[in-house]
Amino acid sequence: MVDFSLTDADKRVVALAREEAAIGRTYARYYDKHEDEIEPKVFPDVMDRPDPLEVLDEVEGETSGRVIAELLVLMETAHGDVRMRRTKHHLGDKIVNYAGTEKQRELFGHKILSIALTEPGAGSDPSMIRGSARYDAATDEWILNAEKIYCSAFGASDGAVALVRGPEDRGIRPFMAFVVEKGTPGLTQLGQVKKMGIRSWDTVDFVLQDCRLPAINKLDVDFKKTMIVFNGTRPGVAAMGLSIAGSLLDFTRSKLIDGDQVINYAKGPRTRSAVEDRLIRLEALYEATLLTILRCKWLEHRDGTTNGATKVEAAMSKALGGKAARKITQECMEMLGPEGLSEDYLAEKWFRDARIFDIFEGAGDVNRLIVARSLLNYSQKELN
Amino acid sequence: MITFELSEEQQIAQSTIREFAQTVLRPVAQRADSDRKIGQKELDAIWSTEIVQAQATEEGRSPILNALLLEELAAADATLALAVAAPMAFVQAIADQGSAKQRQTLLAAFTGPKYQAAAVAMMEPSFRFDVSRFETRADKKGDGYTLNGVKAFVPLASHCSHFLVIAESGGAADAFIVPRESAGVTVRKPKGTLGLCALELAEVAFDGVSVPSAMRLGEHNGCDVQKIVDSARIGLSTIATGLGRSVLDYVIPYTKERVVHGSALARKQAIAFRIADMHIEVEAMRWMSWRAACEMETAQNATRSAQLAYTYAAEQVMSIADEGVQAFGGHGFVRAHPIEMWYRNARSISVLEGVAGV
Repeated sequence: MVDFSLTDADKRVVALAREEAAIGRTYARYYDKHEDEIEPKVFPDVMDRPDPLEVLDEVEGETSGRVIAELLVLMETAHGDVRMRRTKHHLGDKIVNYAGTEKQRELFGHKILSIALTEPGAGSDPSMIRGSARYDAATDEWILNAEKIYCSAFGASDGAVALVRGPEDRGIRPFMAFVVEKGTPGLTQLGQVKKMGIRSWDTVDFVLQDCRLPAINKLDVDFKKTMIVFNGTRPGVAAMGLSIAGSLLDFTRSKLIDGDQVINYAKGPRTRSAVEDRLIRLEALYEATLLTILRCKWLEHRDGTTNGATKVEAAMSKALGGKAARKITQECMEMLGPEGLSEDYLAEKWFRDARIFDIFEGAGDVNRLIVARSLLNYSQKELN
Repeated sequence: MITFELSEEQQIAQSTIREFAQTVLRPVAQRADSDRKIGQKELDAIWSTEIVQAQATEEGRSPILNALLLEELAAADATLALAVAAPMAFVQAIADQGSAKQRQTLLAAFTGPKYQAAAVAMMEPSFRFDVSRFETRADKKGDGYTLNGVKAFVPLASHCSHFLVIAESGGAADAFIVPRESAGVTVRKPKGTLGLCALELAEVAFDGVSVPSAMRLGEHNGCDVQKIVDSARIGLSTIATGLGRSVLDYVIPYTKERVVHGSALARKQAIAFRIADMHIEVEAMRWMSWRAACEMETAQNATRSAQLAYTYAAEQVMSIADEGVQAFGGHGFVRAHPIEMWYRNARSISVLEGVAGV
């Protein structure tokens, strides 16, 4: 029956992640100022501490569900601004592990692989991808040429799964996905992308120039199968944006509500201050978004993560998450006034950080298209 | 453990009420609105669902189930949903917070086959009204109280057998059970309201009404008025969810059929995105209501979650109804379609306090 309480195991992993996040927070400004530096694999500060995700492995059966508990941990981690441990898996190796052959899983499944989709002319519309692959029968190799940008975690990863266009077949150049490992001749990293916010977020542009890959590096996935990986990550990314907005909301509340006073939720709208009223509205938006994301994660827990069953709910989570991240941070900064602009506080950083969450991993607009097509029973062609 | 799973019984009750609401209530909603009256037949029909009766017993009372059912009723008509939720609020307050004697003497009247109106009288006719300050006063006098003040927006007031009057007493809010026939009680003629027109929302004046201590809710223990406020906020949130859903369900087929500048309205992003947002918001409203109802069901303090659910639902239902009118254009403004009624009802249900129970 409907229940919103955390299990003891949920609480345990959340508490561990929260403690680490408090340490992470102390590095927030440093990595905001040093965007070219990639954080250590594990910060010395947490070496002796249990890894919340490893604890989760042990207590998984007693949690509300693996993906639900993971999300709760992710939200706590995002509160810390700088993560104390690098993630052990990325989107690319997830694809290898659900779609690769046995040989490919053996070769690449243990590596950390980013996913490389975006190009200067192809963002929300991947059909604009121009990166190409052609086959060299003489050597049984594929030759790739592409400019891939905004590739998350590429700086610290072993490579990426790159999505490009294959040779023309009956008038169509099909999407193809390849494992591109660092060190392969023809791959040039262009360094960390200079961004408005989330500067500690490892983001790299790279070029593939006549980059030769053995045939085994080609994954047997089409576009749709590749994109399934995003169903699981969209609610997660939405949760991170929401968590950052939550940091600013907490900060704003603590600065604008005097001392030990708390917001009075019992009163009606005509006896509370404008500040209280606004905070309540933003808290409501925060909670509504959180529950939307949790519902999606609960569906994933029930129905599976790699079958595309939660495509619409994932899109809903991301659309609402992106909107909430923007609205909450913009309004909080307005409420804080000029002092909020100062780099003495992290408020201005959170304001910069949150904006990307309605853009990357599916812009709000793209997610609304997914939701609307499903509601209206329209194809991509009928509604675009 | 976090789960959104409904039990099989809950799902059966939900689909039964959905079917009932769409076939029996939905067709009469606009007529009731223009007649400014709910017919006896409809009142008896909603009574026959036995939702109100279930509140009288401990095993029958489930805020989560009530949240599901009120949404279904409101998806047909918010006014008729409130005609259930209003006596529900009264019965729940007696069942939850009444003394053994109060439960024994009062609840039996709500188990019969005929619609039995009763209401929580909380709001007051003032632009400064707020649940944190009541002008209506109950002053201690001898072994009882003297009640003075005017309550407003009391649902089906002239049909009520009892009111649960929320009044300031000894520096705090308190609740008093007042039979309509008591000396000094005047039910005023409904003035007419923007929305929820068939509810006959009316003022009730209490002029030196004597209330014995035995009719103070909870007798010497008193009661927690905030619980009644919280329950109403959750009830209103679920009704807003149902109302939002009805707008969405009405907008989808229309915008798919209506051709403008060469293509269906729904094929334009400006409209399709609004439809997507409506759906996202209706769902979010539902989860907010469920969580608050869940806290109430498990006897936790639900004040914060009820406030947030209601605040969110109030904002969203207004925007959904607003976009509904816009999508319909001129058709949204004429009374041939229910859209304009939903627009009026959306603004109405999102400013009330105390009238509903979950």
